[in-house]
Amino acid sequence: MNALPAAGASLPDPLWYKDAVIYQLHVKTFADSNGDGIGDFKGLTAKLDYLHDLGVTCLWLLPMYPSPFRDDGYDIADYCTIHPSYGTLDDFRAFLDGAHARGLRVVTELVLNHTSDQHAWFKQARSSRDNPRRDWYVWSESDDRYAGVRIIFLDTERSNWAWDPESKSYYWHRFFSHQPDLNYDNPAVRDEMWNVMKFWLELGVDGFRVDAVPYLIEREHTSCENLPETHEVIRFLRAKLNEHFTGRMLLAEANQPPELVRPYFGEGDEFHMAFHFPLMTRMFMALRLEDRKPLVEIVERTPEIPETCQWGIFLRNHDELTLEMVTDIEREYMYEEYARDPTSRINLGIRRRLAPLLDGDRRRIELMNGILMSMPGSPIIYYGDEIGMGDNIYLGDRNGVRTPMQWSGGWNAGFSSADPERLAQPLISNALYGYQAINVESQKRADHSLLNWMRRLIAVRTSSRVFSRGSTTFLKPANHRVLAYLRTLGAEQVLIVCNLSSSAQAVELDLGRLAGALPIEMFGKSLFPRIGELPYILTLGPYDFFWFKLRRL
Amino acid sequence: MAQDSLLSDELLRHLMAVGQVDILVGVPTLDNASTIGGVVRAVHQAFATYFPRDRAVLVNSDGGSRDGTPGLVKDYSLDEAGTVTVSHSLRTMHRISAPYHGLPGKGSALRQILTAADLVQARAVAVLDADVASVTPERVAALIRPVKDHQFDYVAPVYARHPLDGPLVTQLVRPLIRGAYGWQVREPLAAEFGCSGRFLSHCLEQDIWESDVAKYGIDLWVTGAALSAGFRCCEAPLGPRVTTAAHARLGFQDVFQQVVGAAFLVLEQHAPYWLPRQQSEPLALVGTPTSEAGEPPTVDASRLTQTFCSDLQNLQSVLEPILSANTLSRLNAIAEGDCGQLRYPDDLWVRTVWEFLAAFHRGVMRRDHITQALIPLYLGRTGSFLIQYAQAAPADVEAALEAVGLEFERSKPSLVECWNQASPR
Amino acid sequence: MAQMIADAVSQAGANFVESVALFLPRVVTTISIIAVGWLIAILLRTVVRFVLRWVRFNAAAERLGVASILKSAELPPADSVVAAIVFWLVWIGFLLSGIDVLGFTGLQGLLSGFAGFVPRLLVAIAILVIGFVAANFAWRATLLAAVNARIPSPRLLSGAARWLILILAGAMALEQIAVARTIVLTAFAIAFGALMLAVAIAFGLGGRGIAKRILEHQFPEQERSGADEISHL
Repeated sequence: MNALPAAGASLPDPLWYKDAVIYQLHVKTFADSNGDGIGDFKGLTAKLDYLHDLGVTCLWLLPMYPSPFRDDGYDIADYCTIHPSYGTLDDFRAFLDGAHARGLRVVTELVLNHTSDQHAWFKQARSSRDNPRRDWYVWSESDDRYAGVRIIFLDTERSNWAWDPESKSYYWHRFFSHQPDLNYDNPAVRDEMWNVMKFWLELGVDGFRVDAVPYLIEREHTSCENLPETHEVIRFLRAKLNEHFTGRMLLAEANQPPELVRPYFGEGDEFHMAFHFPLMTRMFMALRLEDRKPLVEIVERTPEIPETCQWGIFLRNHDELTLEMVTDIEREYMYEEYARDPTSRINLGIRRRLAPLLDGDRRRIELMNGILMSMPGSPIIYYGDEIGMGDNIYLGDRNGVRTPMQWSGGWNAGFSSADPERLAQPLISNALYGYQAINVESQKRADHSLLNWMRRLIAVRTSSRVFSRGSTTFLKPANHRVLAYLRTLGAEQVLIVCNLSSSAQAVELDLGRLAGALPIEMFGKSLFPRIGELPYILTLGPYDFFWFKLRRL
Repeated sequence: MAQDSLLSDELLRHLMAVGQVDILVGVPTLDNASTIGGVVRAVHQAFATYFPRDRAVLVNSDGGSRDGTPGLVKDYSLDEAGTVTVSHSLRTMHRISAPYHGLPGKGSALRQILTAADLVQARAVAVLDADVASVTPERVAALIRPVKDHQFDYVAPVYARHPLDGPLVTQLVRPLIRGAYGWQVREPLAAEFGCSGRFLSHCLEQDIWESDVAKYGIDLWVTGAALSAGFRCCEAPLGPRVTTAAHARLGFQDVFQQVVGAAFLVLEQHAPYWLPRQQSEPLALVGTPTSEAGEPPTVDASRLTQTFCSDLQNLQSVLEPILSANTLSRLNAIAEGDCGQLRYPDDLWVRTVWEFLAAFHRGVMRRDHITQALIPLYLGRTGSFLIQYAQAAPADVEAALEAVGLEFERSKPSLVECWNQASPR
Repeated sequence: MAQMIADAVSQAGANFVESVALFLPRVVTTISIIAVGWLIAILLRTVVRFVLRWVRFNAAAERLGVASILKSAELPPADSVVAAIVFWLVWIGFLLSGIDVLGFTGLQGLLSGFAGFVPRLLVAIAILVIGFVAANFAWRATLLAAVNARIPSPRLLSGAARWLILILAGAMALEQIAVARTIVLTAFAIAFGALMLAVAIAFGLGGRGIAKRILEHQFPEQERSGADEISHL
């Protein structure tokens, strides 16, 4: 068991996010304390010890604000309070204090781009054209402005404009039609969003994951994505943040190729972190192709980012595995390999969890996690993936990957004491991934369960900063099924070797420049032969990987 | 690159084959062909009898023996041990012999042993002295058990010997360590000890392995490091200590200089720890002490005291910068008396040692001159003590030595004053 | 006629004034060089003293035995002495170059001679210092070695070692500054030779036993001193 660290609300290191291991969870489906079938903050607070013991250092919560729930909470009806089903603001404060006491930081959602159409602001804006809040949203008489801009939720929306019968005009929405976009050309909007941020930061929240960043500003004859004016808005908010708070973090959700994400870091004056979406896709591709090429390419293509910035890397999240930003050939390949069943496809992506995507294969799950934890960036674990939870593609939208956390094999998987029919989302109950087969309680008891393996993996990952801050150099052995790279930070060096293939492999690595170093395998601390001038031969079982710490004596 | 590394490729290959161990026994050697066979046998018997389930390895670190010692270690046949236990042990018993590189001396041998122990993640380590002809399996186990079963980090040996034996330890080093560090260690200079993986990692991180301390005083430094860094220390009785004749390679002068010079250096290094400490505590004793006390030494003590009396006069001008006027005049006074019945009182001796230590620290002259100047005084003290207690019972001698230790503790404040006063080097 | 005299006088007067006028700037320059030099010398002295204090020069001097000599000669402590030497050298240098500006030819010859002498003086001082330190070290080392090796009359031996080195150093220093060269050389040769002869006779005739013992100590088979009869460890 990890000893609890000293309590402290804002812990001193301002670059904490560079070395963080983040756990993404949804309050709604994590733990229910009052038996209404919906997870809440009291329940979540009771599970903080589990999270601390897992070894993660930061929690990212999906939206917890009042909402009509037509987009699982991303359609926000009130920014500055907690949805009553999840508890009160006091419950949230108690949770925050409990997390900080265990050395865990908390990052919440900030949906800048749009609100729910049930939000008070929109209700006022649509009530009449003279309303002071009218200008807070983007209105138009016709729906042919900003023509040619792509539609994101292709499966449900036909246009980016929606007709408002009340004010008899169109309003702009890049997402669902019930999520009107806010108008960031209006300084009042910017100021108010800063107030929203300030509210949560003063409570003690350590940062925000900013949803849908590229779409803030619209301009005619552009794609309305990644515009310079959008960056200005970001810089404004960041400057305000720097002025009033220290040690807080802004994480950008910008699903773009890495060169186009780079501007969101600015010169260290915009976002602290941004997701690296393409890395995730390429990892799955490389695994299926049994070829390291896509992975090596994307990492080598990733531009340098400012010293104070960090990538957020992940295998899965609450959304579909996005195939928006890949070529058609790649998308076809991914669909064929990972999503034969068309039901699992949605919105140019695949709505599956990690374990089902990898056929529940323990070795592949370990390999993907091993690669994730040794890649440059701060890794993010999606709740449930640490025990290998399954999904339900027959639930609507992306809810299939948002089923209740499986704590035990008992009543409602230990998630809630309510009637099973009442649960916010139905449980996974099949024999393969169901809660009787996959749950925290049984995995805690088995020394070699996935859960315990993940704990050890995270412990080794957090034992050294070479993983989060080191440089990355790929070795390119002749055997393309083997992915090998060197992470270096100062005098510390770690060599990672992975077998992407389902059959055992032998590989000859040219390690001449490391001659004299002694590889020590990081999990068992066994000694391997000292590196010499000749090619270093390694053999790996199917989907096997090694992390070697290189020591010089 | 294998050349300038601490561990050769060959040794690494052996360590890889051995893998992770629970117990490692290290034996530094230099021309120990006569005794090494007994040591290896004792170690293997200890493994088989007392630690049958544990993964264990013996590592011999050799300084370039020319009498075939490494060969004897490697070729030692387990069958000839004569005990059924050994050849029917549960596990494979590993034995490695490798030469060490670096500065000649025990420091490099020990460093190699500790580095090897670190790499194989040994939880309990025992370092033995190959010069000793009295190694038994029980002694090996006595050094390991406190670490393995009782979670101690450092185990110092306790030998059963006559209290009049080994005056350099009993009159000088032991009470000095007691007075300074505040711990009663009976054998601070012992070449044998046990330690934990935690402690040896700490030792390896320290920056002394290329210095003079490593050459001559590594055993004392290890003791001091364990005491000053707050590790859990204890003592284990090992019975009598029988050294071979070949062991006495150096003349007394050189031995004294090395030992005392090293002791003073180690004390200087650990000063921040022991300067504020007061009084002393005994270390925990793990195991049952044997009652045999050994033979008292037969020596003509009056020759020692004669040396003292004559040399004191000659060394006046050298002693003046080192000792205080008061101490020097008292010494002169007792030297003028009857040398055959010399009485070198405890408090005067303690003052002498403390003042020498302070002078060493201040660097009033070359350090090896300082230690050389102490020799006649030490001889005088030893002679005086022997004259007084040669016919006494061992218990009375122990009481007298205890009094010396207490005197060191009592007069420590004046040392601390001396130490802090003058500008250090 | 009177006019001629008057003219000559006034011409002489004008010449005089002219030469004074030419000379005055030089005087001013000289005075300013000397003054500046004095300031710089003072500054350097302070700096040198500070640096020596920082590197604990006094402690080193005490260790080498120099300090005690200075004390008995009633000189200030070592770092002040060095600082004073630095001060004087620097100021004299400035003084000389200042005077040089005045352009008195006779003086210039004297000055260059002096300037040539200074480095040799420094070398001589250095030899003396080194010699002194070495003598001290040899004295103490010999004394301790002799005492602990049970060689009789250790004080005599160590004293002899010290004086030998001192005499040697003294002679070398005197030769450097070329004072009474021949006399010094001869006197030294005689003294040194006599001393060595005496030591040789003493050792050769009376010291066979001692020599034997020293050799035995170098190649020990059995130690005879009481110290080795017991096992000290």
